[in-house]
Amino acid sequence: MNTRRQPAARALARAAAISTAAAAVALSLPPLRALIEQSMAWHMVVQMPLLAAAGWLSSRAVDSARSGPTRFNRFNRFGLTGFMAVQCIAAYWMLPSAIDRAVVLPMVDAAKVASLFATGWWLRNAFQVAPPAVQLFFAGTTLPMAVWLGSYLASTDLRLCNAYSLASQVNAGRGLVALALVAGIGWALHLRGWMAQRS
Amino acid sequence: MTTDEPLLPTFAASGAVLAAGLAGLLWATHGGSAFTTETLRRSAVDEAPVAVPDFIVVDTQRQQRPLHTLLAKDGRVWIVDFVYTRCTTLCLALGSVFQQLQSHIVEQGLQDRVGLLSISFDPQADTPATMSAYAERMRMQPAVWQLLTLRDASDRRRLLDSFGIMVVPAPLGEFEHNAALHVVTPTGQLVRIVDLSEPDEALAAAVNLAASVGAAR
Repeated sequence: MNTRRQPAARALARAAAISTAAAAVALSLPPLRALIEQSMAWHMVVQMPLLAAAGWLSSRAVDSARSGPTRFNRFNRFGLTGFMAVQCIAAYWMLPSAIDRAVVLPMVDAAKVASLFATGWWLRNAFQVAPPAVQLFFAGTTLPMAVWLGSYLASTDLRLCNAYSLASQVNAGRGLVALALVAGIGWALHLRGWMAQRS
Repeated sequence: MTTDEPLLPTFAASGAVLAAGLAGLLWATHGGSAFTTETLRRSAVDEAPVAVPDFIVVDTQRQQRPLHTLLAKDGRVWIVDFVYTRCTTLCLALGSVFQQLQSHIVEQGLQDRVGLLSISFDPQADTPATMSAYAERMRMQPAVWQLLTLRDASDRRRLLDSFGIMVVPAPLGEFEHNAALHVVTPTGQLVRIVDLSEPDEALAAAVNLAASVGAAR
């Protein structure tokens, strides 16, 4: 665990969390909402990851003020429960019908914002306690799934979301592949740092 | 990290989360059978017919009347699709499917039992004159195939929502929308949605329905 950080670093972590969360939520509200209504890529490849990033950064900002195990840790050893929850939520928001519903129904959109924020929060907690083998298992199942879905969206002639045009779907698919690759590289670098620290 | 802490609470919690997640996904996908809004829309109609609301419609002859009056006029079952006449992409495919259906209906002498109805969701651009030109281009036979639009553009949202059609603006002033063949009874019930690739299926469903409507009368 991190030792207590300097106040400046703490303020910076808080500012990063708040600004990311504000940007992510702003995309669900007018006038920026037009972006996610018109572009599947803005919705899936920009807003959804931004929400998770906001959750991740918020967890980090809060952690710097308060450390030590919480009583939930005994239900979440190796981050297993967190990974399971994240996978279920991510699977739901990959459904074309769920994406359509978030575009059309404000309540569903609110649920999307809350659940993806929680996903980022849990993901960071899980990555902090999970041994590399568990991390590898999670990343090794989730990221290829995203690559596969992205390639499918980019290549199929079927329009899967009634809310988006086929051209928009192709862009979203390519973006999803790129996003999964970036996340994979980021995780590998994180792992390398961890191994260097151990040796 | 301590290694002698019990794992059971974590396994129980993970299992509960996974079970809840799986139940949620099965619910959202109609038991794993429907991943898109389009398949969900079709299975929802299969389970419970949807009552089509009434609207004042205008035809190519500028005649105005309530949609329900038209549907109930002669006891025919209708196959309905949605178009806009400027279309150069999907509606052309729809148009040719409807042309095929029209010739099947005429060849098999079904015109007393099944009618074709194309409804334009772009009433601003699709004036009776524009629609007449389109009808001519498509070689519509008025006794079999009619083209209408809404008199009041403000009804557009309600019409599309009742059928579950989503129209998305596309480049060059075009639209993209989920296209399908909608089987509607004379009483204004949407009872079946058939894929564009299966016009024969739609026709068979309409003929069957016409037989049972006819028997009930």
